[in-house]
Amino acid sequence: MPKTFPSVARIARHTLLDEVRQKSFIVMFAVCALCVFLVRGCYHGDYMVNGQHVDAGVIVRAVSKVTFHIIGAGVMVITALLSMRIFRRDRNDGTQSCVLSKPIARRQYVAGKIVGVWVVSLLFMFVLHGIVFLVTSLSLRDFMPEYLAASLLCSVNLLFVVVAVLLLSLLMPDIVAFLCVLGIGVVSFVVDGISAVSHSQMAQAMMRQSGAAPHSDLTWWKVVYYAWPKLLGIQQSATSLLGSDPFQGLGSLYPFINVLLYCLVLSAALFRRFGKEDIG
Amino acid sequence: MIELNTVTKRYGSLTAVDIVSFTVTAGECFALLGPNGAGKTTIVKMLLDFTRPTAGSLSIRGIPTTDPACRASIGYLPENHHIPSSLSGWRYLLRCAELLDMSRSDAADQCGRIVKLIGMQGREHAPAGTYSKGMIQRFGLGAALVGDPKLLILDEPTSGLDPIGIRETRLLLESLKEQGMTIFLNSHLLSEVEKLCDTAAIINRGALLVKDAISAIVRDGDTLEDVFVRLVKG
Repeated sequence: MPKTFPSVARIARHTLLDEVRQKSFIVMFAVCALCVFLVRGCYHGDYMVNGQHVDAGVIVRAVSKVTFHIIGAGVMVITALLSMRIFRRDRNDGTQSCVLSKPIARRQYVAGKIVGVWVVSLLFMFVLHGIVFLVTSLSLRDFMPEYLAASLLCSVNLLFVVVAVLLLSLLMPDIVAFLCVLGIGVVSFVVDGISAVSHSQMAQAMMRQSGAAPHSDLTWWKVVYYAWPKLLGIQQSATSLLGSDPFQGLGSLYPFINVLLYCLVLSAALFRRFGKEDIG
Repeated sequence: MIELNTVTKRYGSLTAVDIVSFTVTAGECFALLGPNGAGKTTIVKMLLDFTRPTAGSLSIRGIPTTDPACRASIGYLPENHHIPSSLSGWRYLLRCAELLDMSRSDAADQCGRIVKLIGMQGREHAPAGTYSKGMIQRFGLGAALVGDPKLLILDEPTSGLDPIGIRETRLLLESLKEQGMTIFLNSHLLSEVEKLCDTAAIINRGALLVKDAISAIVRDGDTLEDVFVRLVKG
């Protein structure tokens, strides 16, 4: 019987190759790379705030940070699109019955699929972030390797998306699975975004002026807020590496713990559900 | 080699396979026959652990079918075989070999031999999207032969083949049978089964009607088709 790790690695490699051979994938990647490359146009403007020129370095850093978040969120959507048809495509083109008629356990097949799609998405995001890194480094004449490290940290989000969509695609139509995970992502971004804004200095000052006291008691929505997948939280924690946001100790680690726990639970559910699937 | 022990499979209120028991010994060429919806493909799926029985047990070489190790020396051709359109037949065969832990050189050697065996020389590097149904079926049979399996499980192996292809497939299976390979065949082509197989089982509505040597099932003056129609129509 083939050993566990090589079988998973082979299935992952086949999945990766199948994805990158798709014309739609190549076109999507080329369009995204072009759009990201065009961001460099923002670096050369003459920006003024309150009648004062803004330093070009500040602009470059701010734009690259916003681009970092947009790429992170965009690749999550692309990852969900790639993941939603994985099982259906394998079922339709005979890959599933071909693989599982060999001495390969279902959990190895599922693990190979997860790793394969995750690595494709990770490379997709890493290359796009790499383009921003290069453009930013050339504009600032200063290399920022932490930008790439931050990109790797964001790959935890992609793992969550892959596992969640694969699991849901076994339980409901592919497009509904995609929309569900998209909804989870949107809620996470909106809620974390509102939270980030409400904790900003300006918002705090406004609250002090209006005399509103911050609520500290535990309410149900706070429980939901902390338990909800912290997808934007991971991106914010990752950008703390870029220097503009301070690293907040356990507060910065919590999103990673939260999303990794979700990945573990959803993976367990995925392995269990796929174990009961009828193949062929 | 294969043992089914009081196997039952239900899908809700529908009983697809109803308390079926039989064995297939090593080196035997066995045909599982039955009309559409009789439960043949369900039995094949249970042998490969693609679906689990509601009751009873199945084993291959004494290993329960729920253990992936039992599939170590099985070649399988599904009923509606497909090849991913982005692959060529050659790449598909190599991929099957890789999944069996074969080295690249061994895989290339064996795939070269298999391509000749299935008569697809010269077309093996063309994309699968350009293949006819018969060509895909041949590559499917080739994929089943990767890794020199001891047991071949073939679900309608001649589906989509022209008469010459059907004859060539039978001749190939005959040569594999002579080499001692166990063949488990699921087919509607009774005349081909009669020429090729040693034993057969006929099932209808999930129940086993008969399992015996073909020479014992087919009486003087009858054909397998006559016996099949008589048994199935009651």
